[in-house]
Amino acid sequence: MSEAAPHLVISGVSKRYGAATVLERVDLTIRRGELVTLLGPSGCGKTTLLRAIAGLAPPDTGTIALAGRDVTHVPPHRRNVGVVFQNYALFPHLTVAGNVAFGLKVRGTPKAEIDLAVRRALALVKLGHLGGRRISALSGGQQQRVALARAIAVEPDVLLFDEALSALDRKLREEMQVELRRLLQEVKATAIFVTHDQDEALTMSDRVAVMNKGRIEQLAAPRELYARPASLFALNFVGLSTRIAGQVVGAQDGMVEVVTPVGRLSARGAFQPGASVIVATRPEQLRLGADAGANSAAGRVRSVVFQGSRTLVDVDAGAGASLLAELSGREAEVPRVHDEVRFAWPVAETFAFAAEAAP
Amino acid sequence: MTEAVLSAPVVKPAPDRERLAALGFVAPSVLIIAVVFVLPLALLLGVSVLDSKGGPTTAHYVRLLGTPYYLGVIWNSLRLGLLTTLIAFVISYPAAFALARARGPLRSALLATLFLPLAASVIVKAFAWTILLRSDGLINTVLIALGIIEDPIRMIFTQTALIIGAVNIFLPFMVLPIYAVVAQLDGRYAEAAATLGASPAVVFLRVILPLTLPGIIAGVALVFSLSVSAYVVPTLLIGEKYPTLATTIAKAYLLARDPGFGAAAGVVLLAIAVVVVALSTLLSREPK
Repeated sequence: MSEAAPHLVISGVSKRYGAATVLERVDLTIRRGELVTLLGPSGCGKTTLLRAIAGLAPPDTGTIALAGRDVTHVPPHRRNVGVVFQNYALFPHLTVAGNVAFGLKVRGTPKAEIDLAVRRALALVKLGHLGGRRISALSGGQQQRVALARAIAVEPDVLLFDEALSALDRKLREEMQVELRRLLQEVKATAIFVTHDQDEALTMSDRVAVMNKGRIEQLAAPRELYARPASLFALNFVGLSTRIAGQVVGAQDGMVEVVTPVGRLSARGAFQPGASVIVATRPEQLRLGADAGANSAAGRVRSVVFQGSRTLVDVDAGAGASLLAELSGREAEVPRVHDEVRFAWPVAETFAFAAEAAP
Repeated sequence: MTEAVLSAPVVKPAPDRERLAALGFVAPSVLIIAVVFVLPLALLLGVSVLDSKGGPTTAHYVRLLGTPYYLGVIWNSLRLGLLTTLIAFVISYPAAFALARARGPLRSALLATLFLPLAASVIVKAFAWTILLRSDGLINTVLIALGIIEDPIRMIFTQTALIIGAVNIFLPFMVLPIYAVVAQLDGRYAEAAATLGASPAVVFLRVILPLTLPGIIAGVALVFSLSVSAYVVPTLLIGEKYPTLATTIAKAYLLARDPGFGAAAGVVLLAIAVVVVALSTLLSREPK
C-alpha cells in the first residue's frame, strides 16, 4: 500500500446517547503513517470518536474502514487496533512482560516469537530491564511506556491514545511528547491522539482535528491551524488572540471593513455589510507604533508579563476592547504599565468571524 | 530520571529507641490476642491428648482417625463444606456482577436482601426452612393444593434440605467479598483486553477471573469454614442421619462427657479450616 493511500476512512459517523448527540456526521480520512490529534474540550465527542474507531462504542450511523476493510460492526478483538488508555489499564495481575505479551498470547502466537516481540517492544520504550517487574512497582511514566509497548507489540493497524499523557506531570509530559512522536515515526505507526491540551496537539501531530459539539470544526496541519483558524472556536482553542467585536461596513474581494470601538479595521472574511463580526489576530503580529496600510489601535497598558523568550503586553483599548501583544526578547522597547501605546498589525493577518458562533 | 531516583535520600533504619517504643505500642494487642486466642487453643490441644485420668494419650486421635464411623463423620463435614461452597460460588459469582451493575433503588434492594437475613439468628433461619420443607409444610401444601403432586414429597431431613439450607444461610458470605472486588473492577481492563485481540471468553478467563480471584478466595474461605463447622444447620435440617464433626463435638461434651475426644474432634476441624485458609492465602498471592 502506498504511503499516501487512505488508511482509516471515517464517513458520516454519528452517535447519540439518549437525547444527546455526541457525534454529528463526522468525516475523517487518515493516511498510512500519519499522526493525527483529535483536539477539543471535554464533551466535544473526541473520546467517543476514538472509541468508535476502536470498536468499543460502535456508531449509530456511518462507516469506518481500516486498512481497506469495513470494520464498522467488527468487534474490537477482531480489529487489530492498539489503544493506550488514559490511566493505562495495565493488568495488575500480570508482570510488565506479561502485559506486553498479552495481545500476542491471545492471538496464539508461538512462544519464541512472543518473547522476541516483547523484548523488542520493551527495548523500544527503553524498559528492557523491567520485564519481570510488577505493574504496581512502576512509576507513572514507566506505566505509560508499558502501555505503549503493549499496544505496539501486536503491530496494530492504528494506534489510539486516549488522553494518554495527561496523567504525567508537566515536564515528563513534554519530554514524552517529543519522544513519542519520534518513536511513532520510527516504527511508521498510524496514530490518533485524543487530547484537550493544545500544546500536545501542536507538538505531536501531522494534522489536528479541532472538535466542537460532535463535529470537526477544522482539520489542518498545526502551523496552518494556528495561522489560519477556520472558526472562532478554533481560534480560541488554539493559541492566544486579540478579539474585538464590530460591524461590517464594507466588503470586497474576501476582505471586510469593520467598525469597532478601537477604530476602523480591515480583515479577511466574507460578510455582508451590517453583519456582526469578531475581528481577531495573533499576539505576535502586533508591533509597537503606527504603520500606514496596517490595522492599528491605541490604549493604556494594563499588564506586562515577562515570560523569558517573550513578553506579553495586555492593553486596555477602551469600550471593553483589549489588545494582546507578544513582543520577542530581541525588541529593545518594552512598554510599562499605564503607558499610552499604539500597536499596529498586518491586515493579511487579521480575520473576521461570525459573532454568533462565539462559544 | 534514573539519576534523580538514584540520588534520592536513603531512608535511615529506625534507631533502637524507636523500635522499643513501637514494641510498647503493639504489646497490648499482642497480649489480648495471646489471652483470647492462643491460650484457648493451647488448652484445646492439651485436653485432646489427655486421657480421663490426666495422663498423656493419643487414643482420641486414633479413635477419630482410625474408626470408619468417624472417618465417615469427617467426610460428612467435608462434604457439607465443599458442596455448600461450590453451590454458593456458582450462585454468587454472577450475582455479584449483577449487584455491581445494578444502580439506584434496585441496588439498594438487592443489597438489603443480602444483609437483612444476616440480622436474623441462624436458628431462626434453619427453623424457617423446616417450616417450608416439612411434609405438612408450605411447599408441600401449595404443591398438593395446585394438584401438581398427590402425596407430600419428603424434603426435610434429607441431604437436599441440608444443602439448600446451608447454601441459603451462608450465601451472603460468598456474595459480599466477591461483590466488593467486582464493584472496584475497572471496566477498562476488559476493554484493553478486547482491543488487544481477546474474545469475550478469553477476556473473562484471562482478565476478569484472575482479577476477581481475591474476592472468590475470600468468599470460599469464609463459606467453607462456616459450613464445614456448621452445627445448627445440620442438627435442624437433617439431624442424626448426618453426623458431622460439629455435632460429634457437641455430643462428646454434652452427652458423653468426654472432653478429650471432643477436643480432638475440634482440633481436626480446626486443622481442616487452617488448611483451607492457608491454601487460599497461597493462591491469592500476587505474581512477582
